[in-house]
Amino acid sequence: MQRTNSPHSVSLSSFLSTFLAMVRKELLIMARYPVNFVVSFGQMFLTVSIFTLAGRLFYVPPAEQSGLSNGSNPSGIVVYGFILFIFLSDTLWTIGYNVRNEQVQGTLEQLYLSPASKFANLVARVTNTLVWTGLLSIAGGALMAALIGRLPFENPLLGLYLFVLALMGTFGVGFAFAALTLYIKETAQTLANLLQFAFLVLCANFFPFAALPPFLRFISRLIPLAYAVDAFRSALMGFPEGFPELAPFRIEFWIVTVFGLAMPVLGYYLYRAAERQARKEGSLSSY
Amino acid sequence: MAIQANFSAMLASTRMRLLTISRYPGQLVTDMIVPIVLAAMPILLGRAGGAANAEAVFKANTGTSNYVAYMLIGSSAFSIVSNAFWHMAYWLRREQELGTLETLYQVPTHRIWIAAGTALYSSLRAVSTALIAYWLGCLIMRVNPFQGDIALALLFIGVGLLPLYSLTLLFGAVVLKIKEANALVGLMQWGVSFLMGIYFPIAIFPPLVKALALLFPPTWMTNGVRSALLGVGFFFGAWYKDLAVLWAFMMVAPWLGVWVFTRTEVSIRRNEGMGQF
Repeated sequence: MQRTNSPHSVSLSSFLSTFLAMVRKELLIMARYPVNFVVSFGQMFLTVSIFTLAGRLFYVPPAEQSGLSNGSNPSGIVVYGFILFIFLSDTLWTIGYNVRNEQVQGTLEQLYLSPASKFANLVARVTNTLVWTGLLSIAGGALMAALIGRLPFENPLLGLYLFVLALMGTFGVGFAFAALTLYIKETAQTLANLLQFAFLVLCANFFPFAALPPFLRFISRLIPLAYAVDAFRSALMGFPEGFPELAPFRIEFWIVTVFGLAMPVLGYYLYRAAERQARKEGSLSSY
Repeated sequence: MAIQANFSAMLASTRMRLLTISRYPGQLVTDMIVPIVLAAMPILLGRAGGAANAEAVFKANTGTSNYVAYMLIGSSAFSIVSNAFWHMAYWLRREQELGTLETLYQVPTHRIWIAAGTALYSSLRAVSTALIAYWLGCLIMRVNPFQGDIALALLFIGVGLLPLYSLTLLFGAVVLKIKEANALVGLMQWGVSFLMGIYFPIAIFPPLVKALALLFPPTWMTNGVRSALLGVGFFFGAWYKDLAVLWAFMMVAPWLGVWVFTRTEVSIRRNEGMGQF
């Protein structure tokens, strides 16, 4: 048997090995359902078309409805908000609700009996979200831009920084939701739906925050993800007049940075706490 | 088997499902919230563009400046259509997964009666939550929900339900055949919603897509409700003509649905059997 002097290198290689095995397992499952694969693209195109056509009714007069673009359009607000929303939605389902699936399938307890890293297990699910949702959001963004007009694209590096931090924070929300799933079990499906729609309104992914009634805008100001949406699209639109809407950009920048760095740690901490509790109570495999 | 016994089996199936859903009130609340949130997206986008201008452009496109009610009717109709597909497809898929579908074929009641029980439960749940969502949405967004000809709107919904649930039988046949529900329903509900003009008039479609949209009963149902409540205009100019088209669907669609569904069943039973999933 091979021996090593460095326990850290062993744990790192074991972490990587677990991580890659979990990524492979998730990709394998995904590849075995080609109908899901194709359908999710079709569904996304239809959803985008429906909301885009609805938006056009307010901005494009009947005579111009057959045209593809229009000067006064909200494309930047809608497209960049859509990209962050699709990541949030997929994170809630693929990280949070996936834990529930493992529970129902009876494989969650088995995972905890193995010496595999629990962190690698969670992060592997993030990787698939990044790949698959990334492709979906690029395709969806391109379709929306084609339907509702030229897409503003300023400050790409700043936009990338904000996007990465927003994603990290979103994954942290996913970890926290996975923790909650261990407690609430079947209700997680309903809650994921509700959370998804609540974030859709409160983070104003498809419209400016100015359209929200004042009391909802007040709640939006309590959600870090709302600042991420506002800062991300304001930066990519080149800070047009009135943007960002929730706070001065400098403040939003720091909120997004802290959210992106702290939320994954907090989310993972909550997940481990929920998992420990479930193991103590013996409820890991009960559903 | 006597028709009375079949009715009894159908009602028992409906009662069982109503009892089950009463144990998950959160799902019912979600059913009511989703149409409001879905309608809120385009409504808030419209309001962001400057209310007066948005209303004028919207009226030029649709025939009404009441975009709040227009969108809420669309999202509530979407919720009815979407629930119909989900409930019917999931009933079949779940029976398949639980291993009880084969057993259903050994009871004296024909599956169509059990399917009718599921459809009755689904329509009760979908229509009641959609109506509450519409009224609640109107109240939240400060629009009068009791405008227009409400009785005529309800008539369009009532007449449109049978062709809609007949379509779900066609879809059920596909679920039985390819043994997949989740992804297919997801695609189907948005496909149908797109064609029925959930948030927009189908007049904006190119001729071929428009013709395809007119073959869907939900398109006539949605436009009928919008015309009755908001006066956007019936496809044939008068309510009774549009309603006659829905009646025609009502005469043809159930037979077509039952025929395709039973043909698929026979083909599956001759091959691997219903127990496979």
